[in-house]
Amino acid sequence: MSGNEYEFTIKRKDDHGKVSYSDYSVPKDRISTVFEGLLYIKENLDQTLSMRYSCTMEICGSCAVEVNGKPKMACSTIASSLKTDKIRVEPIRHFDVIKDLVVDLDSFFDKYRKGLPYIIREDYGDYSSELLQTPEQFQKYEQYSMCIKCGLCMAACPIVGTDEDYLGPASLTAVLRYNLDSRDEGGKYRLEAIGTEEGTSRCHYAGECSEVCPKGVDPSSAIQKLRWQVFKHEISGLIRGRRK
Amino acid sequence: MTEHKASIISWFRFDRKGLGFFAYSMHRFSGVVIVFYLYLHYAVLSNLLRGQATFDAVVRAAAYGPYGIFIVMDVLLTVVIFYHGANGVRLMLNEMGLGLAHHKALFFVLEAGAMALMLLFLYYAWQAVLSGSGL
Amino acid sequence: MEDARKRSYGTRDRFTTVKWFLQASSGMFLVFFMAVHLYVAHINGGSPIELFDSIVRNLSNPWWLAFFLVFVWIITYHALNGVKGIVYDMGVSRRMKRYVSYTFIGIYLATVVYGTILALIVASTVSA
Repeated sequence: MSGNEYEFTIKRKDDHGKVSYSDYSVPKDRISTVFEGLLYIKENLDQTLSMRYSCTMEICGSCAVEVNGKPKMACSTIASSLKTDKIRVEPIRHFDVIKDLVVDLDSFFDKYRKGLPYIIREDYGDYSSELLQTPEQFQKYEQYSMCIKCGLCMAACPIVGTDEDYLGPASLTAVLRYNLDSRDEGGKYRLEAIGTEEGTSRCHYAGECSEVCPKGVDPSSAIQKLRWQVFKHEISGLIRGRRK
Repeated sequence: MTEHKASIISWFRFDRKGLGFFAYSMHRFSGVVIVFYLYLHYAVLSNLLRGQATFDAVVRAAAYGPYGIFIVMDVLLTVVIFYHGANGVRLMLNEMGLGLAHHKALFFVLEAGAMALMLLFLYYAWQAVLSGSGL
Repeated sequence: MEDARKRSYGTRDRFTTVKWFLQASSGMFLVFFMAVHLYVAHINGGSPIELFDSIVRNLSNPWWLAFFLVFVWIITYHALNGVKGIVYDMGVSRRMKRYVSYTFIGIYLATVVYGTILALIVASTVSA
């Protein structure tokens, strides 16, 4: 804590798939966040460092990395809050690494789409009237709509790591977000799409997704609420006979 | 692509993780221990078919084991069972949507309650052992 | 990357949360069963049921026999369903999941049939 520099250790992967670690010293008075440290390295020390970023203010969800073993947004992680001068930055887990800190998020967005994360209306195409919503109706799903698709929850979830088919916290939270939306009428399609062994059944409430979520979305409790929705859907299917 | 696939060891790396992860890891571990014991228990009970003398000899041998080590194992098993039960109650409540906002407090309260009950159980079970009626 | 897109999150498994509900509710039953079991096997007012005589005497009571039969059925279900969940979590393919499921159903049936027969034989033994 006493020195004037942070010791960055960054996990690298080059074009040929060779993995190595690079060390850099970054002066403390030049950076405040881990992201700025990475940018300082790229500007002044090593231009070959690859990373992904856009907004630098925890809105775009691009700069998810693992800082000292914990998945975090690089842009909102204050370096001095880490209580150590040694900062180890690695790509987030559970994704294939393309280069250095850049991971392939295709699997994440593929799973995200499985939950039909958009408003479904029975009167599709009828734009004659606006869909109004009261503040109370909005607040029902507001928290879950804060998701920035950064993928930190997927990197933290122990089941996503071992079962790559598991839809994961972000995808299931999106299902709940649209199911709670008063304008939406497609809940049954979503519950149908995720009512599999790869859906809520694989969640065992380790709660690590909520620990790492930068936006306070609390995906783990969202999944428990969704589980109850799926349960009611399946029971009503049992009563009505074979589900459509 | 399975390049990134984690091994099941990752389920038990709870350094720098939250309380929920610890609870999950231990729930998993304790569950497997109990399943192992369950089948061991069935195997021991199978000796009932071999008559009184054999069964009693087996049970007496299994109760203490070499250097009384099985008694220690039994106490550890009790810890595991009570832990699993208390966390299981929390999981059921949480998974049904109850107490989600307070799941950590719920964990501590239920585990504390279970451990208190366990000490009470161990005390009385130990009394039975000492009096000779419990082997 | 490619095959992740092709994977189907199909409609084959129905009632996955019903299985979850059974696991949770059987767990709740087991809290009760375990309490009774630990009491009679280790405390029981100073005369625990552990040795041959006491077990045979206990099981010859039809109510206790029924108690332990239901106990065996439920605890074996809960245990094997739990292990099955762990195997599923290891990331087995959709096809393999079905085989894993059949295997565990087989183990379950074998265990409860054996347990039931064992309990019935012991219950019909005349205490010496």
